[in-house]
Amino acid sequence: MSKPELWVIAERRLDHVEPTTQQLITKAKSLASNQFKVVTILLEATTDHLENELTAYGPDEIRIVRDDRFPTATDAEHADALKQLVDAYQPNSILFGATITGRSIAPRLQAKLQTGLTADCLDLRFDDETLVATKPSYGDNIMCEIICPDHRPQMASVRPNTFVATPATGDATITTTTVTFHPVDRLKVTTARPVVNTATTVGDASRVVALGRGAASDASIDTATKLAEKLGGRIGVSRPLTDQDRFTHDDQIGQSGNTIHPELILNFGISGAVQYLVGMQDSQTIVAVNADPHAPIFDVADYGYVGDAQAFMAALLAQFN
Amino acid sequence: MKIVVCIKQVPETNDVTIDPVTHNLDRRGLAGVMNPFDKNAVEQALQLKDANNDAEVVLLSMGPDDYAESLREGMAMGADAGVLLSDRAFAGADTLATGYVIAQAVKQIGAVDLVLFGRQAVDADTGQVGPIVAEFLHQPQITYAASLRLSGPNEVTAERLLEDTKQTLVATLPAVVSVRSELNTPRYPTPRNIQLSFAKPLTVWHHDDLDLDDSRLGQAGSPTIVTKVYAPEPVKRELTPLTGTPTEAASQLIKALKHRQLI
Amino acid sequence: MPVTTLAAEKLLLQMVDDYTAREIAPQDMPMDAAGDFPAGFIQKLTDTGFLGLMLPQKFGGAGFGPEVTATALNHIAQGNASTAVTLEGHFKTIDQILKFGTPALQQQLLPSANDRIFAFSMTEASGGSNPMGISSTATREGDHWIITGDKIMITNGGLAQVYCVLVKTAPKELSVFVVDQDMPGFSFGKREDFIGLRGTPVGEIVMDHIVVDDDHLLGKLGDGGKIGDSAHDDARILMGAVLTGIMEHDLKIATDYAKERKAGDKPLTELQVTHRKVADIAMRKETTKLLYQRAAQLKAAGQPYSEEAAMAKAHGSRSAVSAGDDTLQILAGYGYSREYPVEHLIRDARAMEIAEGTVEKMRSAIANAEFSK
Repeated sequence: MSKPELWVIAERRLDHVEPTTQQLITKAKSLASNQFKVVTILLEATTDHLENELTAYGPDEIRIVRDDRFPTATDAEHADALKQLVDAYQPNSILFGATITGRSIAPRLQAKLQTGLTADCLDLRFDDETLVATKPSYGDNIMCEIICPDHRPQMASVRPNTFVATPATGDATITTTTVTFHPVDRLKVTTARPVVNTATTVGDASRVVALGRGAASDASIDTATKLAEKLGGRIGVSRPLTDQDRFTHDDQIGQSGNTIHPELILNFGISGAVQYLVGMQDSQTIVAVNADPHAPIFDVADYGYVGDAQAFMAALLAQFN
Repeated sequence: MKIVVCIKQVPETNDVTIDPVTHNLDRRGLAGVMNPFDKNAVEQALQLKDANNDAEVVLLSMGPDDYAESLREGMAMGADAGVLLSDRAFAGADTLATGYVIAQAVKQIGAVDLVLFGRQAVDADTGQVGPIVAEFLHQPQITYAASLRLSGPNEVTAERLLEDTKQTLVATLPAVVSVRSELNTPRYPTPRNIQLSFAKPLTVWHHDDLDLDDSRLGQAGSPTIVTKVYAPEPVKRELTPLTGTPTEAASQLIKALKHRQLI
Repeated sequence: MPVTTLAAEKLLLQMVDDYTAREIAPQDMPMDAAGDFPAGFIQKLTDTGFLGLMLPQKFGGAGFGPEVTATALNHIAQGNASTAVTLEGHFKTIDQILKFGTPALQQQLLPSANDRIFAFSMTEASGGSNPMGISSTATREGDHWIITGDKIMITNGGLAQVYCVLVKTAPKELSVFVVDQDMPGFSFGKREDFIGLRGTPVGEIVMDHIVVDDDHLLGKLGDGGKIGDSAHDDARILMGAVLTGIMEHDLKIATDYAKERKAGDKPLTELQVTHRKVADIAMRKETTKLLYQRAAQLKAAGQPYSEEAAMAKAHGSRSAVSAGDDTLQILAGYGYSREYPVEHLIRDARAMEIAEGTVEKMRSAIANAEFSK
């Protein structure tokens, strides 16, 4: 009897594969061991070859459905195609990236399948054939382990950058299959233009200057901006600063914002709520400056200075210059 | 035009703790408020109403009787009526079972043109119920709308910002839309509207008021089970203190970062 | 109290807290530095319906009662006292029109109180605390009254658009008229540069032959003293609430700081010297709260509340100055710094030992009330 299938739904980012897809393939492979067959489901146009960006990560199979309508298909059309594939292949579990697209299609598919979906997970494991999905809630102050014991397939969406994509050996079998594309006339995408994403999230930066309530003045932000430029990095903030107009959710570090692991993070005026610490603790080098010697941030830092964040930043910037 | 806005009541703060003995979530003393993201959906509905005088905005929520408070808050913002789905049979529902009851209630309200959701609840953070309801109602969905307007007698136009693409979508009504929190700033309920909201109808529907398949309700109708709840623990590291004046400490740091080949 | 009233009051305070945290508190320090409300601040307060909070619903207001109105000002003052005092000046004026105005005058004026700030003006340069010393007059000319005079130190003077003015209608007769900034002969004078409550404008109006009809007389001829006393009473309850809010603010600053800081190796929270100060601030805050709530309850029940209102303000103002002083001492150098709000909370509180009757005058009123029992 063939092994049950563990699916990773590939997602497209303009002309490329969304990095979360690759991250999920690596994770799925480590979960599968010999128990599951890792299958990447790829819905693409007839002229596309996005599979070329997936083979290096070594899924057992890349199963492709080609239709020129897929690149601009709506959530319901995607979910409908996936439903047909699920009916045909009966996978054990399905993983989505918890991107905007993934978080829109997955629940629609879940409703079609009348099964369980755990959204925005930070960890996954299998207990036998049961997928145990770890999901944050209450602004990431609490973690829940959630299972779906009696319904198949099991579904989860996983927060981007939670896992690291690692190229792997192994030959991915590439197969193609077909579904019937059912167009939904009541919803039309009338324009779609690429957004030149200058506002990369703090999750993409390799060096991060992070500011919290203790470094929230205009002067501090100004100094931190210059410091980030010197380091070739980006500013990030803890949750309280997202209330300021100049910062958005894209700038927020922490499990409820961006889970990050840069090679260097400098934390200024951040005392360190649990969700913040857990959200950046995989950074390679962690530096903390805070006026409060008892701030929890010092527990997870490699280097720490107890004192005024603004004064320290100014001194650091002066020495860089 | 009839607009239903689905809202959830959530704890006032996310600073919840785990009971060290029972390992259950300790929610004692947490007052309930309207999910902040749902206020954006209410605001969006009210803006559509402002632009279209005959629109009626009905708020819909599922939960215990005290969820009436957040419905009332939304009515004080300007919604016309509230419907609370409250029954022990609905308790313990996950997103699928919740979506089912909400969809049945939307059908029961009748002649609904538009169902609006906030992007997600701040407590459970799933954002699933909107698409589930859309599927159960067999309606088009627009998630994470960055703008929304009526563009025809029976049509809405929305912008949606994906990771790499800005889409314009046109949906024929009825449709389900979930909105981003950035799309508007919710209005405050004015003191007068707070008072007047108590004259508006707030209806409670129990199990028997809806057409329901009992196997799809509550815990029995929920495929997922929460098996464990815990507070995340950060991993500790050995700290090298930087000492002296800021200038001295900064120079120690530069030396250390050079040593680590970071600069 | 009906369940819906309680639910409405809860929702109101929830909205007030939300508004205060997001719109008012962030302006507390900038307002003190600038000596004014920021641009658009009063407009937003107006658009959000705060001016009609206690105005009866038949005039387009929300019609909240005296107790929750005072509590709302307490909560606003926890974010910024000037905003609360500006509302206090408006509400006490509306109260007098409600108490003494004819139905026609009420119908003419009060619907606009949702959008226009009202002010009550008694003080004159010559007057001091003796109302009979004022020199503003309203003199009869045919069917009209001609009002002439100069009023100073008006809460919201320059900001308000409608003014109740205390004038002499005869050598020994005080009366109150309502004038409007748009009337010919009305002009604004100098704005005071006060050390506290710096957001709230306090200024002068000049009345040069303003012509009004009988319908602009509030109450009857000769009611001026009575109306003035009543305005004081209503203002004092609300000031007790504002002072409570200032002390809540002090207490938050003091306890937050004590929880974060150490003296030597010991957290400030373990030092008896901190305990004493924090306990004193808390007791002063709580006693003031009880006093203003008591006065508001009596007012809501239609009982006399003049003495209790005087107590709330007399006790509250000195208490809030002391609470600020204790908070400053806990924060030590930081407390003395302009970068922290403590020093301006003291200046804000200090205003209320003077405004709406000095503490000395309060004490006389309280003592006289006791003698007459």
